[in-house]
Amino acid sequence: MAVVEKADRAPAPSVPTRGRTGRAPRERGAGRPAVLLIPALLLVAVFFAYPLATMLWRAFTEPDTGFGNFTWFFTTDANIDVLVRTFTTALWVTVVALLLSYPYAYAMTAAGPRGRTVLTLLVLVPFWTSLMVRTFAWVVILQDTGVLNKTLDLVGLGPVHLIRSQTGVVIGMVQLLMPFMVLPLYAVMSGIDRRYVQAARSLGARPLTAFAGVYLPLTLPGVAAGSLMVFVSALGFYITPALLGSPDDALISQQIVTQVNGLLQWGRGGAMGVVLLGMTLALLVLVALATRRTGKKVSL
Amino acid sequence: MKKAHVFRMAAATAAVAVAATACGGGSGASDANVDLGSGPAKAGTVKKDALKGVNLTFASYGGIYQDGQQKAAIDPFAAESGARVLQDGPTDYAKIKAQVDSGNVTWDVVDTDAIWGQAQCGKLLMPLDYTIIDKSNVPAGLASECGVPAMQYGMVLAYNKDRYGANPPKGWADFFDTARFPGKRAIPGIPNDPAPGPYEAALIADGVAPDKLFPLDVERANRKLTSVRSSLVFWKTGAESQQLLESGEADMVMLWSGRAYDAIKNGAKYDVQWNQFMPIMDVLGVPKGARNPKAAMALINYYLGAQQQAKLTELTSYSPIHTGAKPKLDALGSAFLTTSKERQAQALPIDAKWWAQNQHALVEKWSAWLGG
Repeated sequence: MAVVEKADRAPAPSVPTRGRTGRAPRERGAGRPAVLLIPALLLVAVFFAYPLATMLWRAFTEPDTGFGNFTWFFTTDANIDVLVRTFTTALWVTVVALLLSYPYAYAMTAAGPRGRTVLTLLVLVPFWTSLMVRTFAWVVILQDTGVLNKTLDLVGLGPVHLIRSQTGVVIGMVQLLMPFMVLPLYAVMSGIDRRYVQAARSLGARPLTAFAGVYLPLTLPGVAAGSLMVFVSALGFYITPALLGSPDDALISQQIVTQVNGLLQWGRGGAMGVVLLGMTLALLVLVALATRRTGKKVSL
Repeated sequence: MKKAHVFRMAAATAAVAVAATACGGGSGASDANVDLGSGPAKAGTVKKDALKGVNLTFASYGGIYQDGQQKAAIDPFAAESGARVLQDGPTDYAKIKAQVDSGNVTWDVVDTDAIWGQAQCGKLLMPLDYTIIDKSNVPAGLASECGVPAMQYGMVLAYNKDRYGANPPKGWADFFDTARFPGKRAIPGIPNDPAPGPYEAALIADGVAPDKLFPLDVERANRKLTSVRSSLVFWKTGAESQQLLESGEADMVMLWSGRAYDAIKNGAKYDVQWNQFMPIMDVLGVPKGARNPKAAMALINYYLGAQQQAKLTELTSYSPIHTGAKPKLDALGSAFLTTSKERQAQALPIDAKWWAQNQHALVEKWSAWLGG
């Protein structure tokens, strides 16, 4: 009812009044954005903030109040190993994804319209495919008797052991996360005026110098954004390392599942989640500070 | 077989769970209204229309297994008793805990691992009322305070026929003997589920007598496992273990019999060495705080019938837990009946009670060894 009434009344102020044209609607709209946020905020509060708070609470209260779960986490060697492995794996994935995506994104900016469409589709179509399906596809490709090894066998390069190893995990995760690297890179690269590089060349810079001194610094915001997205997503990966890795390649999310689903130790699982979240947030802050500084340098 | 579906079903479950909480909200009839009739309970029967208006939810591991349970026992139970039974899954211990802790139990009957069920007796699962459930035809010793067996299978040794055909491995000692039987081995590598399997096999291979297995000497087992670690690969889902057979990637595999059966049926050139296989069960239990325990137990009683069990075996290859069940099977299916006299003589005795008491510590040790 209320909505209908409002709708009925709405047109009245919008009738132009002499001398005050345009002011009234803007004033009316000023209070609106906050109202429009309410549904989204409610959603976040109920489905994100509340569970997150519960997890925090459990981490400090189950089974006993205090820091017991955190003491356990940091004094158990296996946990530290997994934590370090999670960060090194994520780092590897980020570096490899960056090395592959940078030239790819550049090719996208250099290609003609048709070529660009093809290159974009090549990134997006796998991106739209279920993560599970792609992970299983990698199992089929990478296994010792799989497509890749059979092909390598034919050309006499012998079987290479890929599945159930960290290499296999990195290969799978790079492919799954590459769109998050390519797209921000492309967004930044497509906005760079190519004439800067031409200017550098005309002033006598060699191609490599022009790239390193002019083009690369201009793409750094894209590199930072893409790397951050890939790195942070990689920290929380579960299915891919579970299927492509062996248990000694397990990442922290797998250990959390063991605590939560297997041992029903929700306090410990929560503590592991808090540690992961805390470290990720710390990393975000660090990168924000770092990019702010380089941002200044670039603008100077 | 069963746990394989955990991954695949995860997404579907989310949707089903939402639907289940939305429509499974209340049972039509409360406990007091349920009249299951007089006289002693008889497995495989339920009083006609006794549960009209009652809603129940049955949670199991999905896939062929749960389909079989539904066709063999749950749907006929619903038709006879008048109850409406929803299917849900896969079984997730964290979900059971969440339901029990919050007092909002939407799963009335759950299919769980037997050892877990025993460990959670009185905690997350309630004691069963054996005046409603007739366990007289369940093989001796398999029904416990909070769970009756749902079926039986085994952890078995499957080996590549082409590779070892002339001289097949005779048991777990050969599985660990990489000098006489060179080749890659696969064992389960599920961090939160060590039982039973790798520890028992390692100790047997290290010379422990089968009747002296328990209590398990975990340190000794870990040393034995470490000694062959370079030849080991680990599977984490039933589907993966089956894939190892069908692709021929591992020469000897320790896996669930249901998965070995499916792989061999699909043409994998493997055979099973039944000597020293380890029997495993699932159990049916009722979560603490379930809305209608009487109706839930009536369902369990119906599930235990000879006919239901025979049909379940025909549909899933898992072994029946009714001593009088007579499933019609082909030669391969009969060979996989772990409850037959021949198989029972070959089985390694597993002390489920000991496992239940020590499960927690063992999961920690096992996941630490796996992660190292």
